[in-house]
Amino acid sequence: MTTVVHAIAGYFFMLLVLRVLARRPGSQMTPSDFVLVFLIGGVVLLATMENDRSETNAVLTVITVGICHRIVSHLKQRFPRVGALIDGTPLVLLKDGKWQTEAMGKAHVTDDDVMAAARSKGAKTLSQVKYAILERNGGISIIKNNG
Amino acid sequence: MPSADSESPTKPVEDSASRVDDDIAVGFDLAFQRRWWRFEFAVWTVFTTLVVLAMFGCFGRGHFAKARTAAHDGSLDVQYDRIERFGSPSVVTVTFGPRAIHGGKAQLWVSESLMNALGNQRVVPQPVEAILGDGGILYTFAATKPPATAEFALQPRAVGGANLQLRVPDSETVNARIFVMP
Repeated sequence: MTTVVHAIAGYFFMLLVLRVLARRPGSQMTPSDFVLVFLIGGVVLLATMENDRSETNAVLTVITVGICHRIVSHLKQRFPRVGALIDGTPLVLLKDGKWQTEAMGKAHVTDDDVMAAARSKGAKTLSQVKYAILERNGGISIIKNNG
Repeated sequence: MPSADSESPTKPVEDSASRVDDDIAVGFDLAFQRRWWRFEFAVWTVFTTLVVLAMFGCFGRGHFAKARTAAHDGSLDVQYDRIERFGSPSVVTVTFGPRAIHGGKAQLWVSESLMNALGNQRVVPQPVEAILGDGGILYTFAATKPPATAEFALQPRAVGGANLQLRVPDSETVNARIFVMP
């Protein structure tokens, strides 16, 4: 019983911490991201398992976390607002030649990050970019001006 | 016979995401984002406060958690942590005063919360005798003259408040309120 409660609490606490960490550009995990995820995961795991290192406890923990994840995924699909809360929404960083400074500041995105994304889409200058959007997975989508 | 494709449910394609400038369906919601950023700020404020409080020992294992109490008649002095953590080791140190040592021995009665809620693991030094009763345990230690100290190694096994009572027979009872964090 304690294991299940701790696993549920650990899952949602990790979800909260990872969510409130500002989204950074780049959909690939960096070394510091790995440090963060493994360190937080390890600490939460210790409290979840306590001194019970039995297979029963391990299996119960894994199943509980799996069920939590399944429920959250279902809620995200069923209620878009839940999805927005858990994964965030896309952020418009550049619109019609103007930087959206509030969104860029909060998301810790620099001009260079957007320019790099624009170059990867074949844009030579930012004047060719109509919209730059920071997606929920950290990738930056570029939509070019027509013509 | 209908194909497998025609039997699977379908729905018309439509933009569920809100549009920016009535042009591009992104799902960007600035009002929602601003509320979220305020929430994010509040969460980090709470997290930072928790860490600062933890550094001062408000959640155990720090300056604020350390406590000391003594019997007015000088028989007993107790050092303990007023805030413990579930399953984490800690020590309660009992110092006997001159009134507590008679005939080569010192006796100490401890309430049974020491065993139950606070999970006493061992007593140092080993008592000569331990007698159960009166809602606690009466320990007898071999002792010569003060200062004389005994230590109880705890590992709390119940979350919440616990009232630890200690006394030398025929002396004042010392109360130590301890809160065990989850």
